[in-house]
Amino acid sequence: MIQLTATPISALADEPIHIQATGLNPLQMVVFEASLKDEKENLFHSQAFYRANEVGEVDLECDPALGGDYVGVHPMGLFWSMKPKKIMTRLSKRDVINSPFQVQLKLYNSDDLHIRLPLAAPKASLTVERWYVAPGVTRTQVQEGRIRGALFLPPGDGPFPGVLDLFGTGGGLMEFRASLLASHGFASLALAYFGYADLPPQLEKIDLDYFEEAANFLLSHPKVLGPGIGIVSLCKGAEIGLSMAVHLKQITAAVLINGPNFIFSHPHEYHGQVFQALPIPLHLVSINALGLLEFCNSFGDPQAEGNRRFLFPIEKSQAQFLFIVGEEDKTLNSKASAEGAIEQLRCNGKNNWTLLSYPGAGHLIEPCYAPLCSGSWCSNLPILWGGEVIRHASAQEHSWKEIQKFLRKHLIPGQPSLL
Amino acid sequence: MFKASLKDERGNLFQSRAVYRANSAGEVDLEQDPSLGGDYAGVHPMGLFWSLKPEKTFLRLIKRDVMNRPFQVTLGLYDSASFLDDSRQPRASQIVERWFSCPGMQRVPISEGRLRGALFLPPGEGPFPGVIDLFGGIGGLVEFRASLLATHGFAVLALAYFAYDDLPKYPMEFDLEYFEEAANFLLAHSKVQKPGIGVLSASKGTEFGLAMASYLKQVVATICVNGPVTISTIPLRYKDLVMKPFGVPAEGVHVHPTGGLIFRHHETNLQEEQNQQRALPVEKAQGHILFIIGENDECVNSRRHAEYAVDRLKRHGKNNGRILLYPGAGHLLEPPYGPLCFASWNLSFPSPLVWGGDTILHAAAQEHSWGEIQKFFRQHLVLSRSQL
Repeated sequence: MIQLTATPISALADEPIHIQATGLNPLQMVVFEASLKDEKENLFHSQAFYRANEVGEVDLECDPALGGDYVGVHPMGLFWSMKPKKIMTRLSKRDVINSPFQVQLKLYNSDDLHIRLPLAAPKASLTVERWYVAPGVTRTQVQEGRIRGALFLPPGDGPFPGVLDLFGTGGGLMEFRASLLASHGFASLALAYFGYADLPPQLEKIDLDYFEEAANFLLSHPKVLGPGIGIVSLCKGAEIGLSMAVHLKQITAAVLINGPNFIFSHPHEYHGQVFQALPIPLHLVSINALGLLEFCNSFGDPQAEGNRRFLFPIEKSQAQFLFIVGEEDKTLNSKASAEGAIEQLRCNGKNNWTLLSYPGAGHLIEPCYAPLCSGSWCSNLPILWGGEVIRHASAQEHSWKEIQKFLRKHLIPGQPSLL
Repeated sequence: MFKASLKDERGNLFQSRAVYRANSAGEVDLEQDPSLGGDYAGVHPMGLFWSLKPEKTFLRLIKRDVMNRPFQVTLGLYDSASFLDDSRQPRASQIVERWFSCPGMQRVPISEGRLRGALFLPPGEGPFPGVIDLFGGIGGLVEFRASLLATHGFAVLALAYFAYDDLPKYPMEFDLEYFEEAANFLLAHSKVQKPGIGVLSASKGTEFGLAMASYLKQVVATICVNGPVTISTIPLRYKDLVMKPFGVPAEGVHVHPTGGLIFRHHETNLQEEQNQQRALPVEKAQGHILFIIGENDECVNSRRHAEYAVDRLKRHGKNNGRILLYPGAGHLLEPPYGPLCFASWNLSFPSPLVWGGDTILHAAAQEHSWGEIQKFFRQHLVLSRSQL
């Protein structure tokens, strides 16, 4: 009898699952399919071909996929290679507390598929749950002073190392990374800064006083360990994270994912002082063969002499930095930015940085097992984020662990050095 | 910013844009000034045309009515601020017409015997060198390349072979005698030069083009654009001989990050003895064969197939085969100024197929290869006075 198993059947979205099939014919070619519907009813799915061994078994932990959405030995490939049915749709969990993503796993005889479409019922199927919170994690809507966001606390009394979580130019509030961090023992504040609640609908400037308010709010919380907090930030969020790390002593550790080492488009303000932004000549954006916008070459050369006034004086920061770079980022030349920032630190005799640079990874580096989104609609524009499916997945797997190690090392006193 | 837009015959919008800087006299000349960004960069006088993109991703631009109406392309001149803002009005605009036929040309629908297609005759008495035009897995009848070739003095028969009129949608077998009938029909026409004709074939069509070259002595010049040299998926019969197809096993199909399907990676080992016997016997061809290859073809590993065929000819002591290889060009190499179609929907598949190609290099390849196609046919089909 054909059996399909997945263990554990219910887990955190960043935890691996062991998928196996037994009871097949020897050397039978089968197809595993994973599919899910997101909260807006968008369909995502993936398929991979495997050949059973002499006793009719397939074990995704050690057997290679022979084709489909990925090839090679990738136990979690069915998850991170999922593609949306409607092109340019990004997978993003909105309600992180009350429900998981339900992923259907199905097993087909390869003859029962004609170019990705099933012609017969699957031989076996089951549903696994992918949660964005661990049991006991709490979510509190934050509306203190000007701050708008969601605070995730791990179960227990704490205190817990505090982390501020910042996303990019899409605006609104993305909570899934903060909730996962809380599931790993961090008090995480997912902070919105425009396009949410009564915050400005468009981004016009970066008001560092607002972000300082958020940092102080977090630090003053009884369950948050001081004396400093960490930042996990992506893209525009990383620009803000770097700015905060330069101006605010409260920032002890900053994780900057695919962010610029310069201010672009929107000026920063802190205590009345204005820091100018490199204007981006939008008409120099290039459009790729499928009509998506590639921004990475439209910034000119931010490291050039004439643009020095837009660079962050990173050498003034007392924080520790973890730069995470996707080398196939099509939105920003993240590698040049990280290298520029590191060069500035070196020139000033500082070594408070680590660089993790991932070949083949794109702009949207997320917690592990998230499907690669290489292009999607953002603020009504079709944006090319870049990335190659397999290498982006391994970058996510590696960096997610490194991010947690880095935050623990610098936010929890007495953590052993991991060198 | 210059913007070009057109609506195809089904109302689908295609657009392109490019940003230029005027000189000190306030002029821009696309023949010598570079685009600074947008759908292309650099000096490309026709860039606005070959970089057109469909508003709905994965649509392919194909002119259906080639005789009666042109494509109307609206060219607009905008402030560069309009680059990402479609709501603004142009400072100036102009409509240009892009025709697929010329005055005096004739289109004759063909429904003779088993044959289904359309014959395009240039203006004048002729006789004209005859060419059969074969498209690929898209099926139906695609006429625009045949009609354009006819404007250059060739009598061209656009021939359908499946999913058109009473031709089956999903044939179990193809019959080379159908194509032989077409060759004989064309040669018998009063306005077509004797004694030989040419074949222009692309993608799946090259299976038939190459089979015609191998088995039919009336075919003296054959062009194969980005296609296999083996029969694929559906068997081909010629009298007593049945050529069995190679299929692509499902696991050989790769998936592009967008979800599109990439077929090029399945490797038929053409060097294996048994497979060699199943490849088309090109060494029997008495005419000349030109392979036009896009190196970035994501649908077929056309380069490998063409190199195998030319190598096979050489091994038989023949050198009537030649390759034109275009780096950066994709699968759908068409007449010049046609927009690059990187990936599009195909009726037989649930996901779009990835054709590949780099926008600028593909455009250059189309421009160059179109000239080469005409030169090749003139060289091998048009009789010099001394041969008459």
